[in-house]
Formats: sequence, C-alpha cells, structure tokens
Amino acid sequence: MDELIYKLKQQIIEALNLEDMKPEDIDDNASLFGEGLGLDSIDALELIVMMEKNYGIKLQDPAQGKEIFKSVAVMADFIAKNRTK
Amino acid sequence: MIKHQVYISPNEVKVNGKSLTINGCGSTILTELYRSQVGDYPKFFKMDTLSKVGFIASELLLNAEGYRGFEPREDRAVIFFNRNASLQADTHYQSTIQNPENYFPSPAAFVYTLPNIVTGEIAIRNKYFGETSFMVIDDFDEKIIMKNLENAFQDPITKSIIGGWVDCSDEEHFEARIFLMEKDN
Repeated sequence: MDELIYKLKQQIIEALNLEDMKPEDIDDNASLFGEGLGLDSIDALELIVMMEKNYGIKLQDPAQGKEIFKSVAVMADFIAKNRTK
Repeated sequence: MIKHQVYISPNEVKVNGKSLTINGCGSTILTELYRSQVGDYPKFFKMDTLSKVGFIASELLLNAEGYRGFEPREDRAVIFFNRNASLQADTHYQSTIQNPENYFPSPAAFVYTLPNIVTGEIAIRNKYFGETSFMVIDDFDEKIIMKNLENAFQDPITKSIIGGWVDCSDEEHFEARIFLMEKDN
C-alpha cells in the first residue's frame, strides 16, 4: 500500500501540475480539497480521468469522488480494491 | 492616458521601456519571471501558455503601478486582443482526444480553450469585477485596439483598463504588449 500511495502522489503532482510540490510534501491523510492541497472542481475532474487512465477505474457517478478524494490514503485504498490495470 | 506598459516576447521583457534581465528564452522565461516577480500564486502552473503570458505581463504591469491591494473593485476593466485566439490550448486539448485507443479528454486542458480565460484569470487574481473581454483580430492594429479601449470608457463605471495585445501560437511563440490606461478627466 505504501508503494501505491507514493506512486499516486507522483501521479497527482504530474496530473495537476503541482509544480513546487514533492510526494513527501503531501500528507497521506490530509484533505485533498479545501484546507489540504487546495484542489478545485477542475482538479477533481482531472483526478477522475487520471484514475481511469492509470488504473482502469471508471466512476459511474462523479459524486462518488467526494468520498474517494478525501485523502491520498482513501484514494489509494479505493484504487487497490477496484483497479482493473 | 497610458500610465505603464509591459512588453514580453520569448527573448525580451520590458517594463516601461526598460529591459529586465532574463536568463532563459522561450516559455522558460515565463516560469523564471513567475519565480522572480510573483511567487505566491501556484495556479500559474496550471495555466495554458496564453494565460501565463497575460498573467505575467499583468503582474509586471501592476507591480510597476505600485500598490497591490487586492481589494474588490469594479472600475478597472481587462480588455485584450490577439490573432491566434486560444490556438495552443486548443491544440493541446486536441492531443488528448486524438487517439481513439488513448481517449482521455483533459478537463484541465479544456478549460483554457477560450482566449478570454486569460482576462478571467487576471480578474480573479486581482478581484476585478469590471468589464473583461478578449477580441480576436487579424493582426496587431493599434488604431483598432485604442478605439475599442476608448469605447470601453464610455460606461460610467470604468476608470482604468489593463489592455492591449496578448498572443500565443505555441509554447515558444508569444507576445504581450499591454498597458495600464486611465480615463482622461
């Protein structure tokens, strides 16, 4: 799981152009939106595309993102359970 | 009356006619200028090249003006012109949907597929609630630009304009010639 979390952080940084950030700067349990990483609604859509592209996970209901994108740890757990590639 | 002006090309940056020292060339100067002159707006890294050019040019212009209050105001408009609309962002977005085997439309690329997004970026950054518009014309034409900007002063609210030319055909070909203009009394 630690390996997946680290890789996921790298992919988030790349997908969202978080230029000045390193994986080490992202807390596993910190909120991705609002106070945490401060991501916005376009970033959420980009994360949905990223999950489909890299892990073959297609979210049927975008509202699911609210739960899944709570933190990198929650996201990694969801990916581990649902990935098809 | 024009109060301040900024010129940016891939190998030259001038503020009020005075050249700034830059080390790189091409699109790297935009990041270089962001780091040396701005530094506190990471959303810059998400922008397309046109928005980066317009954003950096506006930051240099407003730094030259001096006071950066970031208080909400309605009396300042942002009105730009160019030739290539949002061509670079359009091409980038197209690349994300070109291959049916690798079809992943990027929302972050799509949001920049309109040139007027750059005026919005500047308005959001500075809390401007006045007019914003972006007009696409054949070529840089000072007469057309000035006429449109003077017309913008006809409303009773606008007292100053960040206006001029912001064009980009790809990451290595761009130009900003913008200025801060105030209404004559």
